[in-house]
Order: sequence, then C-alpha cells, then structure tokens
Amino acid sequence: MIAAIRVFGYSLFAIFIGLLFMGIGRKIIARIQLRLGPPFYQAFLDVGKLFARKSITHNFVMDLGMIMSLAGLLSTMLFVPVAGHMAIKTSSNLILIIYLMAIGHLGMAMAAAASGNPNATIGVSRALTMMLGYEIPFFTVMLGLIIFNGTSSLELIAQSQAGGILNWNMVKFPLGFLAAEIALQAIMGEKPFDAMVAPAEIASGPMVELGGKYLGLAFLTHAVSIFVETGIMVNLFMGGASNVFTFVLKQFEIYLITILIEAVFPRFRIEQAVKFLWTVPMSIAVVQLAIILL
Amino acid sequence: MMDSPSYMLSKIAEKDNLTVYELFFGPNHPGMHGNFGYVLEMIGTEIVKVRPNAGHLHRGFEKLMEQKLWVQNIALVPRICVADPDPNEVAYCTAIEKILRVDIPDRAKFLRTITLEMSRLSSFLMGMGALAAAVGLYTAMNIMTADRDLILDLFEWLTGARVYHMFSIPGGVRNDLADGFVERLYKVLDHLEKRLIEYDKLLFENPIIHKRLKGLGYVSKEDAVKYGLTGPNLRASGNPYDVRVDDPYAAYPYLDVRVITQEGGDALTRAIQIRLEFEETINLIRRALKTMPEGEIRLNLGNLSALKVPKGEAYAKVESSKGEFGYYVVSDGGMKPYRVAVRGPSLPAGLLLAQKHLPKMKIDDVAAWMASLAICPPDIDK
Repeated sequence: MIAAIRVFGYSLFAIFIGLLFMGIGRKIIARIQLRLGPPFYQAFLDVGKLFARKSITHNFVMDLGMIMSLAGLLSTMLFVPVAGHMAIKTSSNLILIIYLMAIGHLGMAMAAAASGNPNATIGVSRALTMMLGYEIPFFTVMLGLIIFNGTSSLELIAQSQAGGILNWNMVKFPLGFLAAEIALQAIMGEKPFDAMVAPAEIASGPMVELGGKYLGLAFLTHAVSIFVETGIMVNLFMGGASNVFTFVLKQFEIYLITILIEAVFPRFRIEQAVKFLWTVPMSIAVVQLAIILL
Repeated sequence: MMDSPSYMLSKIAEKDNLTVYELFFGPNHPGMHGNFGYVLEMIGTEIVKVRPNAGHLHRGFEKLMEQKLWVQNIALVPRICVADPDPNEVAYCTAIEKILRVDIPDRAKFLRTITLEMSRLSSFLMGMGALAAAVGLYTAMNIMTADRDLILDLFEWLTGARVYHMFSIPGGVRNDLADGFVERLYKVLDHLEKRLIEYDKLLFENPIIHKRLKGLGYVSKEDAVKYGLTGPNLRASGNPYDVRVDDPYAAYPYLDVRVITQEGGDALTRAIQIRLEFEETINLIRRALKTMPEGEIRLNLGNLSALKVPKGEAYAKVESSKGEFGYYVVSDGGMKPYRVAVRGPSLPAGLLLAQKHLPKMKIDDVAAWMASLAICPPDIDK
C-alpha cells in the first residue's frame, strides 16, 4: 500500500516538475523571441483545459497507445533516483532505464498509427528513426561511464561523484558530456532534432489527430519525459544531489541548455539529423570511450 | 467502423496496391500560407504527383471590380495581396492615369515610391520570417514580425491603416507626410540595418539553413524565363530584369535603382537574394527621402466619386516584393471599369513550377520550397 502511494506521489511530482519546466521554457523562449510570453504556469492551465474537453478517439488501440506511452515513461521514472531517493527498492540499472524509455515512444507510435492519419504515421516513423540516431552515441557515452565505474547502477554512478564539483563526471569527462548533451537534444525532441513534430512539414506529426484528453495525455507524457531525461543526465554527469531542491535545480540547468539551443536553431531533415548524430556526437563519444579505456 | 478514417485510408491504399496515398498539404496546414493547398500523391515520404488545390480563397475580385466605381475599387485592390498591398494600388491607379493621359505631380510620385518601398520592406520581413518558420526557426520569424510592426506603425501614421493602406488614388496620393515622419522613418531604417547583422547570424549564415536550402528547387536561367517567374526569383536565377529599371514608373526614373542579380537559382540563393534586396531597399528609401521635391500631392480630377474614365485600355506593371504585379484595365467611358485583369506574381511558381519541382521532392521540403519562391496564394486565387 505504502509502495503504491509512493509510486503515485513520485508520478505526480514528476508531472508537476515537467509541466513547470515546460511553462518556464516557453517563457524563456518567448523572451528570446522578443515576445512577452505566457505565464510560467501556462502548461498547468493547458492541461487542465484539455482534460475538461470532450475528445475524439479513433479506436481502442489509440486509447491504449496513449496510456502505454504515459505508463512507459512513468515506469522509467521509478528507476531514476531523485536526489538518492527512489519510489521503489531497485538497483536503478541504466540499461533497464534506456530499455523502458523506448516503450513511451512505442506507445506513441501505436496511438499515432491507429489514428490513421498519414502525417502522424510519417511523424512516428521519423521519431523511431531518430531513436536509432541518438541511442548509439548516448549508449557509447554510457558504456564509458559504466566501464569507468564498474557498475551499471545509476544510483552508484551518482554516488561515486560525491564531494564537490571536481568529482562530477561532467568535469572528468567533458567530451562525453558534450556528446550526451547533443544526443539529449534529440532525445528530448528539441530543435534541431524535432523532425518528428515539424509543424510546417507534417502538421505536428503524431499529435495531429490528438485533441482534448488525448492531447492532455500527450502533454503529461512530454512532462514526464522531460523529468526522466534531465534526471538521468543529472545523475550521470552532475553528481546527483543531496536534496530534492538541488536536484530539480540541476535538472533545470540541463533543461535550460536544451531550450537555449532550441531557440536559435532550425530543424534538420530527418536523414541529415541521423547522419549528424552518427558522425559528430558519435565521434566525440568514441574519443571519450577511448580515453577512458586507455 | 465502416466509415472510420483508418478504414477509408486502408481502402484507398488497397486500390493503389498499398503504395500511393494522398496527402493534403493545405488548405489547413501549418506549413501553408493562405487557404491554398496541394494534393500530394505520395509513396512513403516522397511525392510522386501534385495537384494544386486552388479555389478556397476565391473572392471574385476581377468581377467585383466591374460593379464598383473607379475610386471604390481602391479599397478592393490591396486585398489581393495581404503581405505587399501597395503595388496593387499603384498599378491600378497608374493604369487609370494612363487611360486619362495625365501626369501626376512629382511629389506624389515620390510619396508613392516611398510607400511602395516601405511595403516591400515589410513584405520582405514577412517573407524571410515565413522561410525561417518553414524550417522551424521561429525566433527569426518572431523578431522579424516585431520589426515589421515598426513599419506598420509608420503606415498607420501616414495612411490611417496598418495593412490595407488605400493611399494611392487616381491623380496622386491621399495625404502628405506629417511633421516628424521623415525623422522617424530614418530611425526605423537605421534600426532595420542594425538588425540585418542579427538576421545574418540567425538565418542567412546558419549552417543548418544552408544544409536544408542548398540545391532545393533549382530553377535554371532559361527555365525562370520560360515559366514566367518575376522579381527576386528571376534575378536569383541570373536574369537582370527589374520593372523599376526596365519600365520605370512613379519616381524610379529619378532614382538610381541597383539591380541585384545572382547566379545559383536554388532556394538558398533566393533567400540571400531577398536579404540583399532588403538592404538595397533601405538605401533606396534613404535616397528617395533625400531627393523628394516639395509641391502638390495630387491632381485635381474633380469629385472622384463621379470620376469618368474615357474609353480606352491600359496595362500598368509594378515591381512588388514577390515579382511583377500587372493590371490590365479596360474602360468603356463609364463610371465603372469595363474589365480589370490582374496578373499576380505567384501564379507561375505556385501552379506551374509546383508541378515540375514537387514530384520527387520529400514532404520535408514543401513548406521551405514554397516560402523560398515567395508563393502568396491570395494572388493566385483572386
């Protein structure tokens, strides 16, 4: 019972932080674009409004896909240590986390394919192609860290960096951090790697048939994905944190870098994006791996 | 279940051996400007066939103009092109003046030129912004929209309207510059010139933009003429043709207009062409302001509501930001035009060139291709 309450509480926390980041991110991008922008709590209003709407479903698979997408990311979230705390007792294995993260994408793919809109199908095929692009450099960086620390537990990797900024993997392995940061841009689906949504090309891709509660669910999924992805980065490279406040602050730093890049770049075409990810961050990651091994 | 979209789509796929499917790019699509559309037949993400889907924006301008007084049409013509409305007014008024065989005062010519060039600036800002938005660089679009507002503020001060100015009338222009207008215009021009550095960094020197636009929608020098492209699109393919120089109107004979041509003919060249012409337009406005004479701003043609244009016909053309805007006006000597025909600059690219370029293109590039050719659907669908 207590475990269930903990899981529920952690999920709410992840959604809250994700939506807060989305709102602040929109505000910052608006200021870069010389606009006033919406208030920082706009994402909460959006989700509230969307869940109050009637919504149209195409079939049962679409409903299931949306739920699967959110559930997949929430279950990933359970394995990411938040300032050393975790919702369930586990070793927080990195390989398991990356494996579970794909389920969110697959759920979205199922929902989009079931919606029957060709734009959504193209968007999903792009998202899965992009996954091929970013996973290889990200895994290479992770492999280096796993070899260096002799463990694949995210919690232990975070703990090994305790004791000041100089112990952080970010400082010890700057090249690895750089490669992971570029890959993170694609993982989060921000520009220049946002070919899967691309409003001007495929009318927002997977989101094109979503409305009302379904779009609300997609918002929540995105919020959780922000929490999970920045959380992994903080644990991998910024030494985790001793309390939740510091952890969220570090997460926000990672998110800030992402949206600052997002604001000033146009988007790659999908094949250009994959080619870029397989060359630039990949070679940086390989160099880092070589340095660790030698 | 029988009428669900996925069922219908699977039926379509079945008929075409599960390969070719139809994708509607517009009339409601974030990558499309105006209520225009292309029906794309696709295999995977590649286009095999394109059918322009015009008609959603048809407002019957040409027929409507036959039912309105000569001067009433002034309120109608700017609506043919939203982004760049002034060339329509000037072309229409010039055609009337040609039939009337009158020469308008010099100051009126300069005022028309200045509003035309200001309109060109605002349209270029919108065009560059549209190109930036088509490849996902919304920051550039937003900054350019903010800068465009400065020009619209000036228009509001001068003409009372922000978008459709209705400033030119047969015989001249409606009103003179207010006190302090010229100083503020200079300030805005200085500001825009400074901003160009920022646009360069953000948009025109951006490596990803270069990667995306290079080689996209290539138009050769001969093809540009064959298809009837005009304006920056024609000049970006290496043809030195500009109505302002080759068939000057308004005050352009008194101004030294520099024609910028580039070889290249692809989307990137066209984007840079707009950027170069933007800079040149700023200089042109400065030159026009310096050489503008004092004097009358319009001829006295009597009560314009009772204006009768003698029997005759005339063709007047104006270089707009997107190309040549032509008005063919026929009068039977009455209170209303007998026939007005409009030649919009987007027609050749939007309808003809689309059928050559879009097949074999990926869906990724359609919006960027459209924005690079400055296709403005309202002047296709009049």
